[in-house]
Amino acid sequence: MVGLKELQESFQRAVLTGDSKILDEISPSDREKREVLLGVYQNAYRLNLIEFLDNEYEKLGLLLGDDGYAEMVQAYIANTLPDTPNARDYGRKLPEFLREHAPFSDARILGDMADFERALNHAFDAANDQPLTLEDLASVPPEGWPDKIFAPHASVTRLDLKTNAQGIWQAFENEIAPPAINDGEEPDRVIVYRQDLRSMFRSMVYEEAMLWDELVKGVNFAGLNELSATYGGEEEAAIRVAGYLKGWIECEMLRA
Amino acid sequence: MGNNMNDKNLQKPDFLGYGLGLRTDHYQEILEGDPHIDWFEIISENYMVDGGRPLHMLDQIKERYPLVMHGVSMSIGSTAPLDMDYLAKLKKLAERVQPKWISDHICWTGVHGVNLHDLLPVPLTEEALDHIAGRVKQVQDFLGTRIALENASTYVSFESSEMTEWEFISELSNRADCWLLFDVNNVYVSAFNHGFDAMDFIRGVPKERVVQFHLAGHEHNDTYIIDTHDNDVCDDVWALYAEALKQFGPVTTMIERDDNIPPLKDLLVELEMAREIGAKTLGKFEPAGA
Repeated sequence: MVGLKELQESFQRAVLTGDSKILDEISPSDREKREVLLGVYQNAYRLNLIEFLDNEYEKLGLLLGDDGYAEMVQAYIANTLPDTPNARDYGRKLPEFLREHAPFSDARILGDMADFERALNHAFDAANDQPLTLEDLASVPPEGWPDKIFAPHASVTRLDLKTNAQGIWQAFENEIAPPAINDGEEPDRVIVYRQDLRSMFRSMVYEEAMLWDELVKGVNFAGLNELSATYGGEEEAAIRVAGYLKGWIECEMLRA
Repeated sequence: MGNNMNDKNLQKPDFLGYGLGLRTDHYQEILEGDPHIDWFEIISENYMVDGGRPLHMLDQIKERYPLVMHGVSMSIGSTAPLDMDYLAKLKKLAERVQPKWISDHICWTGVHGVNLHDLLPVPLTEEALDHIAGRVKQVQDFLGTRIALENASTYVSFESSEMTEWEFISELSNRADCWLLFDVNNVYVSAFNHGFDAMDFIRGVPKERVVQFHLAGHEHNDTYIIDTHDNDVCDDVWALYAEALKQFGPVTTMIERDDNIPPLKDLLVELEMAREIGAKTLGKFEPAGA
């Protein structure tokens, strides 16, 4: 008989790989074979992981269909050990897995859909940063504006999706037939955020996405105006930047 | 939290009454309907998040109901080091929630950085007893309070076991000076799976350590039972509950439903059954503050 440490290592191996050495340590039962009873833990492991992924990637499942989804889940489970206390974190590496592993990497829609769902999940319980308000900005003196730097709210994720994953997600959400998959050259520049406790999202035009990305890097207000002027012409650059800023603030996408 | 470890007189927390597990499906109904529920148990890991709706709802419910925290990832029985990051988050949540107590299971969930997300069985050995008692003391020192440990359902037993499960958890609770969360359904399940008398278990556990009962359903597979917590409490478990009440007296009780979650009204019917059995067995007793 083995000590506690070796017994746990052997049991874990049995659950992860089907190794049967642990059976030597398990007492016979009058009611059922030891292999069947050990199988309760082995089955529970797989079923639990499948449930965790189901909960986090519902629309990906609809996109793939039952057989495709089952294939994907098995491949991910074989590739990815659960290593965090929170079950919801198990699927956090799925978008990267889909982009890096054939045959899933052949369909960019899969990585995009997983990325989009992960962003929505993240927004759901991201930190409660205090949102920046228009009243906060009213207290900034005129001379403070050029150097003013803004920071994104913790709930925000910016995505450049290569496909129409966003539109397909919305169709599934509304229980209507999804559009055909569109894998185009021009990315769908999407922003995902939380407003009033709800996960929200929308597409951005090139200029807005560009300015948002630069804001996140720490470019100040003057710099954002210069970028806008370079891209869209100096005339009305300041108005456009002010408009984007107001919209981001009203959507609680910036933190105080 | 009302269980100061410096209190050598072992003053149990107050009887809270009859409660349910807090489930997202029921949030609105709980906040708008004021149902006849005395307290709620939360799954700690569901609220060990950074913000958003889960904590918002939790804060609202906390204003109205006493809460208890119940975790599944403490892995108190593991030979891997205690996860201090997890414990720090648990402590932070406890500071927010101010639970009446914090609980988890006598089990392990993984070694070598893996979390198998299951309540894995421990051998009932002196080695395991000593190991787990030491870890419980460390956890209680860190959290600043006694924790309650639950008897998990098991499907296998080990050749190395040296004592009964009730001897194990009794000795554990005394050595570690912790509470016990007595899951009546799990006793029933394990008794069937391992061929012991559930009443021996009930009689063998120290009354002064038991602060909470769980009542739940299971899945019967003829030769073994799986503790699925996705079904109504069956008649045999209700009968065992009555016996447990005779043994332990009034104990804070909840219906635990983890899957296949029914409408709240169905769980309220089960909760009422628990109240009726409590009243019939011990006479009516009110929760603290009622």
